[in-house]
Amino acid sequence: MEELDLLKRDWNKGNSFEQVSEKDIYRMSHKKSSSIVKWLLAISIIEFAFWMLLTILLNDEKYEVKLQHYGLDQMMFWVNTINYAVLVSFIFFFYRNYRTISTTDSTHQLMKNILKTRKTVQYYIWYNLSIVFINVILTMVVTLYHNSAISSMLLQATNEGHRTFFLFKYTCMWILIVVLIIVLFWLFYKLLYGILLKKLFANYKELKKIDL
Amino acid sequence: MDPELEQLFVKQLKENQNIIHKICRLYTSGEDAHKDLFQEITIQLWKAFPKFRGDSKFSTWAYRVALNTAITLYRKSTRSVQTSSFDTTNHFIRQEEYNYEEEEQIKLLYNAVYQLNDIEKALIFMYLEDKDYQEISETLGISEVNARVKMNRIKTKLKKILNP
Repeated sequence: MEELDLLKRDWNKGNSFEQVSEKDIYRMSHKKSSSIVKWLLAISIIEFAFWMLLTILLNDEKYEVKLQHYGLDQMMFWVNTINYAVLVSFIFFFYRNYRTISTTDSTHQLMKNILKTRKTVQYYIWYNLSIVFINVILTMVVTLYHNSAISSMLLQATNEGHRTFFLFKYTCMWILIVVLIIVLFWLFYKLLYGILLKKLFANYKELKKIDL
Repeated sequence: MDPELEQLFVKQLKENQNIIHKICRLYTSGEDAHKDLFQEITIQLWKAFPKFRGDSKFSTWAYRVALNTAITLYRKSTRSVQTSSFDTTNHFIRQEEYNYEEEEQIKLLYNAVYQLNDIEKALIFMYLEDKDYQEISETLGISEVNARVKMNRIKTKLKKILNP
């Protein structure tokens, strides 16, 4: 292609770029990066902290006493232990993936590593959402039998002969709440990462298309 | 940080800065965006420098990091600028009658390259830098054959942009 030869000639002339001084390079290398990896790291740490805080805040003493009262304390101890172990492994995997992000890799590998890091956080969020889901179900069952107001409503419904209908309504209400929470989270993350990773995804797809 | 290492880095980058400027030229339009990307590349280079072992030339190592920064990490969107530059290019092309001065044609060529996507720009960059297909495939992480095929497609695409 003739035109490309022309471009190449001009390219090799090494034309006059405004030269950056040593002092400026020194100054620049100490500036804060605004790369997406930096953002991904910051957001992920906030996410880890958020869910951890939620776990700690929800674990108040009154709740513990209540669990003891319901006879669930033994089970909750194990659930919590497993939960913390899972949390620690997530943080470990996230950190390990983050460390493997290297600008000296091939473009394809670099993109893969970034997406892998994000996936780890994504799994962490899904894990937490499923814990929320299980918690809600547990709360639903426990409330049904131990909350005096609800259980008297159940008793009344049983006496009036529409126990099944009451249970159906009760379950529907809880499911609606859970679905609402999950959809909200999903939208939030879709938006957050959609904006952040739009360019990366587009370029990743393009690169994969070439290599099909 | 090791001051000696830093001195070495600054010196090497100063000597090899043109290759970074060339990448900034392909990926940005406007002086501010150019400087912005140059700075982000410098940050990434400095961060990766301790791992630079010198088994390749500094310039080779640097252009890889620079390309990866431009394609993958750089966050500032240049989309709005891109549209305006696209319009002017179209305007130029419509008047084109193959009797342009060389300089004018070179400007058109740069504009055409600017319209390519980020991956295509990387391929053109390496083509202009006379990199062989083995190096191109290693840099992008695609197969050599596919790099060749894609390069031919880009040439066709450029031709189409220049002669719509």
